[in-house]
Amino acid sequence: MIRYVTRRLLLAVPTLFGITVVVFLLVHLAPGSPGLAGEGSLRRPTGHAAEEMRRLYGLDRPLPERFAKWMSRVARFDLGESFVDHRPVSERIREALPNTLLLNGTALVLALLIAIPLGVIAGGSPEGTFDRASAAALFALYSMPTFWAALLLQTLLAVQLRWLPLYGVASDSPPAGAAGLLDRLAHLALPVTCLTYGTLAFIARLVRSGVAEARAGDYVLAARARGASRRQALWRHAFRNALVPLLTLAGLMLPALLSGSVIVERIFVWPGLGQLYLDSILSRDYPVILALSLLTAAVTLLATLASDIAAAIADPRVRDGTVS
Amino acid sequence: MARLPGSGRVALAVVVGLWAIAASTPLFRERAREIRLAERLLPPSAAHPFGTDDLGRDLLARIVAATPISLTIGIVSAAVSLIVGFTVGATAGWFGGAVDLVLSRTIEVVLCFPLLFLLLAIAAFLPPSPWTIIAAIGLTTWPGDARYARGEILRMRELGYAHAARTMGATTPRILIRHLLPNALPPLIVSAAFGVGWSILAEASLSFLGVGLPGPATSWGGILAAAPSHILEAWWIALFPGVALFLTVSAYNLLAEGLRTALSEGGGRV
Amino acid sequence: MRSARCAAVGILVCLACACRQRETPLAAQRTSSTAAAALAPSPSVAETSVEGGVLRRRLVAEPTTLNAVMQSSAAEAEVLQYVQRNLLDFDGQMRLVPGLAERWEASANGLEYTLTLRADAVWEDGRPITARDAAFTIGRIADPKVPSNVYKPLFEEMESVQAVDDRTLRVRFKTPYAFRAMAFVIPVLPEKRFAGQNFLRARENRAPVASGPYRVASWTTQQSIVLERNPRYPGKPGHYDRIVFRILPDDTTAYRLLTAGDLDEDQLSPSIKDQAIRDAAFQGCCRIVEFYNLDYNYVALNNRSPLFSDARVRRALTMLLDRASIVRGLYKGSARIVSGPWAPDSPAYDPGLPALPFDPPAAAKLLDEAGWRDHNGNGTRDKDGREFEFDLLVSQGSEVGRQIDEMLASELAKLGVTANVRTLEWGSFVEKVDSGDFAAASLAWSAVDPNPDPYFYWHSSQCAPSGLNDGCYRNPEADRLMEDARGEADSGRRNAIYHRLHRIFRDDAPALFVVNAAQKYAFRRDVRGVQASPLSFFFWPGPLDWGATASSTGVP
Repeated sequence: MIRYVTRRLLLAVPTLFGITVVVFLLVHLAPGSPGLAGEGSLRRPTGHAAEEMRRLYGLDRPLPERFAKWMSRVARFDLGESFVDHRPVSERIREALPNTLLLNGTALVLALLIAIPLGVIAGGSPEGTFDRASAAALFALYSMPTFWAALLLQTLLAVQLRWLPLYGVASDSPPAGAAGLLDRLAHLALPVTCLTYGTLAFIARLVRSGVAEARAGDYVLAARARGASRRQALWRHAFRNALVPLLTLAGLMLPALLSGSVIVERIFVWPGLGQLYLDSILSRDYPVILALSLLTAAVTLLATLASDIAAAIADPRVRDGTVS
Repeated sequence: MARLPGSGRVALAVVVGLWAIAASTPLFRERAREIRLAERLLPPSAAHPFGTDDLGRDLLARIVAATPISLTIGIVSAAVSLIVGFTVGATAGWFGGAVDLVLSRTIEVVLCFPLLFLLLAIAAFLPPSPWTIIAAIGLTTWPGDARYARGEILRMRELGYAHAARTMGATTPRILIRHLLPNALPPLIVSAAFGVGWSILAEASLSFLGVGLPGPATSWGGILAAAPSHILEAWWIALFPGVALFLTVSAYNLLAEGLRTALSEGGGRV
Repeated sequence: MRSARCAAVGILVCLACACRQRETPLAAQRTSSTAAAALAPSPSVAETSVEGGVLRRRLVAEPTTLNAVMQSSAAEAEVLQYVQRNLLDFDGQMRLVPGLAERWEASANGLEYTLTLRADAVWEDGRPITARDAAFTIGRIADPKVPSNVYKPLFEEMESVQAVDDRTLRVRFKTPYAFRAMAFVIPVLPEKRFAGQNFLRARENRAPVASGPYRVASWTTQQSIVLERNPRYPGKPGHYDRIVFRILPDDTTAYRLLTAGDLDEDQLSPSIKDQAIRDAAFQGCCRIVEFYNLDYNYVALNNRSPLFSDARVRRALTMLLDRASIVRGLYKGSARIVSGPWAPDSPAYDPGLPALPFDPPAAAKLLDEAGWRDHNGNGTRDKDGREFEFDLLVSQGSEVGRQIDEMLASELAKLGVTANVRTLEWGSFVEKVDSGDFAAASLAWSAVDPNPDPYFYWHSSQCAPSGLNDGCYRNPEADRLMEDARGEADSGRRNAIYHRLHRIFRDDAPALFVVNAAQKYAFRRDVRGVQASPLSFFFWPGPLDWGATASSTGVP
């Protein structure tokens, strides 16, 4: 087991390095000058001034040199400064992180809370009414584009009915105390819904098939024979079977969530990492792009690693590499 | 090969229907391009069943004209993803050892890569064209297929297929093509069908964000891109292109589900 | 995003021109065809001015810095207007008026400028504002390591800057220039506060030291910037106690907040304005203020391309864009056609010069004459084996640009010319235009000062990529007129030269000049004193004159 973990950890290093190189290349080979202050920009430097700007940002040095320089800074946990407003990148990330965590965390927790029981119940009686009904509903959810769902929800709940606010994290002068909490929840409702439903559908179907498959298995039968109730049999035994693929894929859900988060954050003007990412790409804010890419990659790697290890614990075949 | 379940057959019919609509596009192209500023943002009516957009163009015509674009990009992207993925995955699984190590790391790099960044980078930095979008989507989704292919190859090696064939004197390519491929094909087909749905969604997202296909011959996502700025006054721009997207993706996903059921009944592991 | 209307701006310098008087457009407000484009008249209830209160304004984007030298967007300018005074200012009639400098004079040869600062000018911390601060500021503007995009060109020809004493600033330039004094419409930064800090990363970039009637009380990222009164300001205070700038990139949200009473001012896009006119909630709370400024839309054409090197082709293209229909259909009448690189309110614009008409048959004839016919019978015109097909670029987010492009493409298609409208992401778009690597691109001119000098943008010596003449328009006669105007001190003669230039621009069509659209702002009814100018609200005193009123029913 230890060998497996060590091996995976060691293998993660070249992967991380590979990602950094690719991101670095992509970012610096892109057209457009860095630090464009967005579409409201009143002036762009040309000729002589442009040359000076390039020198200022260190862009006139050869690529390998810039890469080495950047890597050495990262090793010291120095992510540099944004080209756009010259503030430390870490500061900008620190500002945006809580919002993204709130959004994605809530979405993930909600998805799990709803999907697991749903899947277990559906898998418990496959081809039954509940299973069929939920399958159709989940299927529809799975096929719906996030931004379209967002638009529809906005149009219905925010524009027509005015039950929920249209955008943002909170009202501009938020009330204090309980009313303030309610206000924040109201703002959270639509974005979280958009992020949750896709993940929910995916998890639910996974759990369902795992449970349905296990249900027919001998050990579940044996458990029932020993006097376990149907519910106990389902949850303690059949669900365990669904856990393995769920864990394996849990690692991959994280990058999917983060990606989906970009669109949702954009649509709902949610000032999180996704929005920061998109803005920094559009304004060629190299240090921020690099830092965020590295961060996302590292987090994803860790998550995949964790899920692989978890799966390895549950299923020895994974360890030996016979099942991926 | 087992029969497609009922839902699968419905899905197949829908998909065929979509392609028929796509084929009829030339009839609608004129109407889709007609700009009539006097008829901007009209709600659905007899003359304009889906209403008009912000330049007075008939929305129904635009949606129909966008059908072949969305469908083609979806299918070709899924194909690219499948081919690249299968090749890399099979190679990794077959040769094992150092080759597997390197290729697995490559798969992991792309898998852990900030997906949207790659999509945006490719789409935003390269000259916009359908091929750029196809490359962007295909090159970001192949790891899934690769991991699957690798797993399958490994499993078959373990089960002795290859060994048996080799003792009979078959060469490597022959083994791959004649023996492993037919077994791996069914799940690949299913994966491809799901891939189409995913690719169509990905392309729509890119167009919606503004880094997809250049207008005016745009896809459904591109038409939806204009919806947020008219959300107060023209709900039809948000509704109808989205319905088209939803129907198409559902149909493909349903088809994939049906294929999976059908092929698994046929005895292969899907 | 809204602010995508600005794509190329020149800060050019200009002598204090006794510009031709243009009416403060508030009085000259254009009515749209719909009756509800409310103007400024007082409502039926009696009103009294109320001092104090909070004004809640909208920022379309978050400022990246509040360092006035490094400002680069409208959002930054809107906030800094309250906080920092300039050496000189433009008033509502685009004339130069004293700011922190109470008087200025030019030497006889026009090379040296001397400015005298006011004796009572102080920073918010009590220190006096001296000429040394002004010299420091100009030094930073000219410093190649400082990204001062808006002001740097003003001092490119500066030879030296010197603080002769605490109140006297002397600046020498290498050449005389008709509009030189406009260079001094610049803010001043406190030298002592920046000493010892890296200029780019100074604390004061987030918390500027105030020299104006207000100071920055707080800046909550992504949320708001709050200004409060600067008690040390020696001049006339503003009417409001606090100004709150809310950062709202989305038009729809801002509109909602306005009608709900959470916002006092908002800039409206054409489609939101259409909504507002029909919305009872809006009519009850707010009014629309419409005026013209110096901005306009145009389609740049690459004159170096074989497609557009012939003026007849460019003229034909101009006649294929139905600008009157754009004015009617897209703007409901709130726009004016432009036929040269100035807005009609600019002194350089010849109001008596008619624009080229929308005339497809005449355009077809011009194309024929220029040799573009369908020789190979494939439906598209061609010449010397080259098809008349090109990419028409527009930046993502520019809805107006896209609409104009699509209309043009549609008309062109009818005449056998294929224009592919390509939406490019902003950075890529700017890159292509700046380097001259494009065929046609939809742009918007956004003026930050009234300088009409077209030299940097249309003179043949300024071709991209080294200069700003993106389309590389070359016309020796136009060149000569531009040079003459720059050296002409008398404004009457200078404007006459510009009028001749205007005719050349119209007939030569170096670019497709489209429309000068009216700016549309919405204000809650209790905001009074709103005056606009061709510089929008960026003039002295501008928004500082806005105040609250209470109706006689007592509701503020």
